[in-house]
Amino acid sequence: MAYHLSIFVENKPGKLEKITKILAEKKINIRGIALANAGDFGIVKIIADNPDLAYNTLKENHFTVSKRTILGVRIDDRSGSLHDLLTILSKNNINIEDCYGVSVAYNKSAAIIIEVEKFPEAEKILKENNIYILTDEEVYSI
Amino acid sequence: MFWEKEIETIDKKELEKYQIQKLNETLNNCKKAPFYKKVFEKLNIEKINSFEDIKRLPFTTKQDLRDNFPYGFLTIGLEDVVRLHSSSGTTGNPTVVFHTKKDLEEWTNLIARCMYMVGVRKNDVFQNMMGYGLFTGGIGFHYGAEKLGALIIPIGPGNSKRQIWFMKEFKTTVIHILPSYALRLYTFFEEMGIDPKKDLNLKIAFIGAEPHSEQIRRKIEELYNIKAYNSYGLSEMNGPGVAFECPYQNGMHIWEDNYYVEIINPETGEVLPDGEEGELVLTTLKRTAMPLIRYRTRDLTRIIPGECKCGRTHRRIDRIKGRSDDMLIINGVNIFPIQIEKTIMRIPEVGNNYIIEIKKENYMDKLYVKVELNEKTFNGTLTEIENLQKKLTEELKTELGISPVVKFVEASSFPETEGKAVRVYDLREKE
Repeated sequence: MAYHLSIFVENKPGKLEKITKILAEKKINIRGIALANAGDFGIVKIIADNPDLAYNTLKENHFTVSKRTILGVRIDDRSGSLHDLLTILSKNNINIEDCYGVSVAYNKSAAIIIEVEKFPEAEKILKENNIYILTDEEVYSI
Repeated sequence: MFWEKEIETIDKKELEKYQIQKLNETLNNCKKAPFYKKVFEKLNIEKINSFEDIKRLPFTTKQDLRDNFPYGFLTIGLEDVVRLHSSSGTTGNPTVVFHTKKDLEEWTNLIARCMYMVGVRKNDVFQNMMGYGLFTGGIGFHYGAEKLGALIIPIGPGNSKRQIWFMKEFKTTVIHILPSYALRLYTFFEEMGIDPKKDLNLKIAFIGAEPHSEQIRRKIEELYNIKAYNSYGLSEMNGPGVAFECPYQNGMHIWEDNYYVEIINPETGEVLPDGEEGELVLTTLKRTAMPLIRYRTRDLTRIIPGECKCGRTHRRIDRIKGRSDDMLIINGVNIFPIQIEKTIMRIPEVGNNYIIEIKKENYMDKLYVKVELNEKTFNGTLTEIENLQKKLTEELKTELGISPVVKFVEASSFPETEGKAVRVYDLREKE
């Protein structure tokens, strides 16, 4: 199962930069990034090519960080494809906690990273619906 | 302008005689309390003949009050106790003071004396904007004003627009208010289009319960076109009414018929002469339920030497310079950093590091509590942090009685310290 890193950050200039700096120093490549903020603070989500090293590096630098399981899903690069995916999930009563697009030109398709509450179930349902789930390697090398 | 001319202008020699007599009565009475009984068993002090003898008596501290919670200082049975007042519980037990009917009468009389001294009369309308309840400020003044015969509006604090409405409709002439709130309240007048100088009948404000500068007093006087009088009190010594300014506003007359006053060096306990700054130490002279001997107030001040033009012979203390310990006074509410710490520590999802900041915003004190997340329990969602923020705010509000601003910060945002961490940053302007 692939995961991304969820990092607590203060919403202040230079805070994000500090994360990118320490990851760069370890030659970690950031493959995807998403930001959500709630006023004074926020959460940065990062997909790294070497997630374990990234996790440990952030810990060593006293960041509050958590690993969160994700599904990398391939969808067609066309109008309505994200809608189709979301319909499958909602029909099966699966709530999305987080979702962001990573690449819109991935083999003429797009990759969507989603976080859901019910993991194995979501994976099973998507497979049953012939939705391609990226392998861990594919996620980390998007 | 005297409520009790004879006692307020008592001759120095007479006062001394009176105090010695009252000190001996207090000494005999306090031996009935379990705490003092033990203390005096070891000491061979039967009678006090001069002020020199008093120096041989031990001090009483706030810690003694806490350690002997709840009834260790009580000299009488509960059947004669009619009320208690209590400070906010801090490191454990709150400080509780008990009163008999007679004690309350004496206290009430002192407040009436204070109010009368600066011109409050029975035809005045007194709006009491201090908190009622365990806090002594609201109730103390309430009964004092009632004894004096003024019309009291027992409105309590807060709800600024309603305060102004009452002031206007009932032609309030006297207010009792936190100095910080007096400044804050003024901003509402502007909003409501009311000019307190023209549209109101105010003439006197009693300000107290939190340290404030001469500049703040002058500002309040100017904004409202009134006289603002500083007062001093502490719940262990009843509450307000211990010392009070006369119309000359040059120091607070401390009522020496009720309190024996000493200024000591807080380090050595040595008694200092008039004029020198030190810790104020008070002995109750008339209290029956719970007399206190040489109580260390931890408030730093000095006796202003010389006589006052008003004719009162009771000496004056200067504006309080500060507290000799770590207590914070935030909008008049006493808060100890330890209360914040213990609340933070109760919530496992919150880390151990924290900083307390106090700032002035819109003339009011604002308490900021900066904390970190516990990295071991962090799940990586925004919702959990938001919920935690709400939870901690609520718990702190319950513990402290005031609402703080809780901020989550990164671990690296805490100052790196060697040794004892500095956690409290009082950023209010030092005046």
